[in-house]
Amino acid sequence: MKTYLLASFTLLLACCYVGIIGTTFAADPDAGEMEMLVFPENYKPMAVNNGGTISGVVKFEGDKPEMKVLEITKDPKVCGATEKYDESVVVGEDNALKNTIVYLIDITGGKDFDKEAKLEMDQKGCKFTPHVQIVPLETRLTMLNNDRVNHNVHIFSNINTPVNKQQTKNRRRMPLAGVKKAEGPVAVKCDIHGWMSAWIAYVPHPYFAVTNEKGEFTLEDVPAGEYKLGYWHEACGTNSEAPATVTVEAGSTVAQDFTLKLK
Amino acid sequence: MKKLSLFTICLIILIGSWVFLEFVVGGIISVPIPNSVIAMYMGLIVIAILVHISVEDSQFREFLRPIHETLVDDRRRTHRRVLVVLIPLFLLGYTYAIIAQRANPPGSPRDAHPSPPLELTYKDEVIGTMQDVVNPFRHYEKDDPEAFKAHVENGKRVYHQNCFYCHGDHLDGQGHFAPYLQPLPANFQDPGIIPNFQESFFFWRIAKGGPGLPAAGTPWDSAMPIWEDHLTKDEIWDVILFLSEYTGYQFRTFGEAH
Amino acid sequence: MKIRTIAFLLILFGTLAVFSLTYAQNAPEASERGKEVYENSCAHCHGIEGRGDGSAAENLLPKPRDFTRGLYKIRSTEAGQLPTDQDLFDIITVGMPGSSMPEWETALSTEERWQVVAYIKTFYEGFKENENPPKQITLEGKISYAEQSVEIGKELYVELGCVECHGNVGRGDGTSAPTLTDSWGFQTWPANLTQGWNYRGGADTEDIFKRFIGGIAGSPMPAFEGDSFLNFGLTAEESKRLIELENRDEMTEAEEEESGKFYEKMDTAVDIALSIKEGAEMSAAEMQTYNDAMKVVYEKSWHLANYVKSLMPEKRPEPAIGNNVLRSQYVQGTLPAIDDAVWETFEAGYFPLVGQVVIEPRQFNPTIDGVHVKSFYSDTEVAFLFVWDDRTHTTGDEIDEATGKPLEDALAVQFPVKVPQGPTAPKPYFLGGGRLPVYLWHWKASTPEQVTELTAKGINNAEAQEAQGELQVQSTYIDGQYKLWVKRALKTEDKKDLQLEPGVFVPIAFSAWDGSNGDVDTKRTMTSWYTFTLEPVPSSRRFVYPPIIAILSVGLLFGLRAFVQRRNTEDV
Repeated sequence: MKTYLLASFTLLLACCYVGIIGTTFAADPDAGEMEMLVFPENYKPMAVNNGGTISGVVKFEGDKPEMKVLEITKDPKVCGATEKYDESVVVGEDNALKNTIVYLIDITGGKDFDKEAKLEMDQKGCKFTPHVQIVPLETRLTMLNNDRVNHNVHIFSNINTPVNKQQTKNRRRMPLAGVKKAEGPVAVKCDIHGWMSAWIAYVPHPYFAVTNEKGEFTLEDVPAGEYKLGYWHEACGTNSEAPATVTVEAGSTVAQDFTLKLK
Repeated sequence: MKKLSLFTICLIILIGSWVFLEFVVGGIISVPIPNSVIAMYMGLIVIAILVHISVEDSQFREFLRPIHETLVDDRRRTHRRVLVVLIPLFLLGYTYAIIAQRANPPGSPRDAHPSPPLELTYKDEVIGTMQDVVNPFRHYEKDDPEAFKAHVENGKRVYHQNCFYCHGDHLDGQGHFAPYLQPLPANFQDPGIIPNFQESFFFWRIAKGGPGLPAAGTPWDSAMPIWEDHLTKDEIWDVILFLSEYTGYQFRTFGEAH
Repeated sequence: MKIRTIAFLLILFGTLAVFSLTYAQNAPEASERGKEVYENSCAHCHGIEGRGDGSAAENLLPKPRDFTRGLYKIRSTEAGQLPTDQDLFDIITVGMPGSSMPEWETALSTEERWQVVAYIKTFYEGFKENENPPKQITLEGKISYAEQSVEIGKELYVELGCVECHGNVGRGDGTSAPTLTDSWGFQTWPANLTQGWNYRGGADTEDIFKRFIGGIAGSPMPAFEGDSFLNFGLTAEESKRLIELENRDEMTEAEEEESGKFYEKMDTAVDIALSIKEGAEMSAAEMQTYNDAMKVVYEKSWHLANYVKSLMPEKRPEPAIGNNVLRSQYVQGTLPAIDDAVWETFEAGYFPLVGQVVIEPRQFNPTIDGVHVKSFYSDTEVAFLFVWDDRTHTTGDEIDEATGKPLEDALAVQFPVKVPQGPTAPKPYFLGGGRLPVYLWHWKASTPEQVTELTAKGINNAEAQEAQGELQVQSTYIDGQYKLWVKRALKTEDKKDLQLEPGVFVPIAFSAWDGSNGDVDTKRTMTSWYTFTLEPVPSSRRFVYPPIIAILSVGLLFGLRAFVQRRNTEDV
């Protein structure tokens, strides 16, 4: 009995320490705190006839932030030819917010992925393009490198196996094996060029869109019904806790705009 | 079998004793004997041999016989020629080695556990005399085991945030900084350390660190920080509790029978 | 009766054996017992919940491992795989050199270490899900160490891009080195491949091979596994040809076509490799293509491992302690300059540096391993060559926030102003003041041709001497290594200087600063006192006395013979 008490007391004390230290010493800047997408447990592809469309614009609330110029510490000839910016918040005209994922949270059946679509991520001029990439499950993403410098593709997956592969300077294309579990978005980095940053979301269904320069997104061929519409943005977070509700009617378009602010 | 001459026997005894002292005791048993002590032993053996051979005239002559023969006897001409080359050659090499020998630095006279001052202080505050001060939390061991455990646990935290770099995870003085420190950090697992000192002595050494040592402890060599600059009084006492709890050794106490 | 006893004993031991076997294999129980060991011995660094956030973690770099993500650096398994139990057990047993992870062989029993293995596996779900044992890297087909293999490995080292982080000759000084972070966002440095004693997972060729093929999970070190390997699917010759073509500014049409074919071949091989990874069934021909490609990968990897092995000395140099003091060699006439080949002809004194933890601000995570020192002196002057590795060349462009001082690389050499006479005479305090002053040489990377002479009575009480310029200085920074050459007259006019004469044993100590590691002021690496001496010119008497003694001994022998002969005649 006595040892039991002592042990629990020790544990309590130890927990206190962990608590105290935890506040000053965040061990996990990327993985734990990053808000994630929400995926349906099951998704069945089926033919969609006369589906509806969801479209809208994502805007940024507040003053348009100044884009930070990145310091090019390496390979200036290739990487420094054009100025590189921190792309965590890209706001265009009329406060249009680029690189926001807008998606259906609770869809369980709908169209299949476009199998013909080429899935590529370029590393041109030591910058990942696109900055946010949607990757269907069990589909290969091909990394391109026409920079003639060495890159390493480092994908910080937690659920799937993390990837860290060197794409040497003459390796123009390097396909990556498809993954089996929905996850993300996960960070992509090049350790050789520390400023390079992108995001990949491994998704189980095709109702995901990434906003363009004008902040626009479109989800097509959505079976009629009521859906939760979610978004994710690198710096503005998600609305997973209170997603928008949209009702899609066959053959028509429903509009849903979002206004996001920094977390 | 031909009987060995007295001279050969003496030579064998002499060389045998030296080999025994240098290689058997010093090497195999590995209790190295200082050269000066070996020289002393060898001197004693030489005297013993001299006494033995000079007891009787006949014995002395018997001893000298082979030397005589080697020097003058024609049958021993080859021996003589070899020796006349070998002896000077040996002396040549030996004297050369002595003269060309590198000088080595003086050794350190460091006293690892020098006498503490009479008074125990923390910063400038006098705690009491070294002899009488006891760990203020030690009594919890009997009175309030839970409080005691909490103090030990805090001592463990303090230890791992400050001490383990040098004194090691196992408290054996083998922390990751340790191998390249001169002198080596104290090994608390050594049965000769904790049981030989009072907790007040440890408090003094922790609080004042290397720079607080008297000259006999060669303070300029020690990398031990002045912990009173970083730790509170209670933290030092706690860490002392942790040292004895973790190693299982009891600090020395005075007064009560132990 | 006897048989019954034997049978009884057999049954007893049999039951015991079966019982203990099931007991040992019963993972939940083992892990429960492991919990106690873990919380007693490991939690102060790795945290109660295995998140690498124990009370000691704050001041450690590399950080203690966070066990909750299943990322293990030192594995015998392929890229992306979890470690085997044996891998975990081995790391606990031998520790991780160059980090704060000690060996636990002395403190924990074999059983306890296995229990800890069982327990730390409970921190990551993946260990449970994974029913198939992790795939181990095969060590078959090892190519043994040879000059030729090292040469091939050296080429690969450049082609694969190892130089980006590990630098031209492996000192961890690649141009990407300063910006690396681990999977938790903490700064991390690429290994200095020339310091085998700091390799976390051991520096045997097999260890290097495994780290290379399997990657170092959680760190920026990629896995050079099959399909991403340089020109996967091409033979060594084809690969060479492709690199040659790719390195041209312009290709002719024929060359374009040639390289295009190579790329097609690569694509085919990569496609097979990925399909295998994704679990597809392959034909025999496809498997053949894959196996051929993998064979090339493994061969090249062994060459690379051999090259990396060639970069390091067999073991860490011995520190210059005891009688192994730093001895300055006498030369007649001019002392050798910094680039003189004569410096390479003898072993340096090695002075390992440790973090300064005595006075705030302290350095708990030093990045400089040690300084190698050589010295020559002539009748009038002494020259030193100080050599140390530093991954970055930091010259003070950045300002330290806490002190407002520039962060830059630096070295200080310390002597007492007056040499203590005899072993019991006090030396000056290295840190923290005292009565006896020290004489310092302070070199900074921002002024590479200048060494300031200082007189100090404590770490925060150093003053530049009025008379400067008595020192001649040269320095270089090449491939992650500083060389500093300092020359001074043996005797100076300045009373605050140390005066040198042969045969005297002088205390000497060093401090080094790595600006990119935040070193400034007392936050630095240092040594305690060592000993330096101008080795006296061997006395010319050594050529005079020995022959005299030899000749005398010959005379003595003949004299003795004559004496004995005369006595014999008289006796007769």
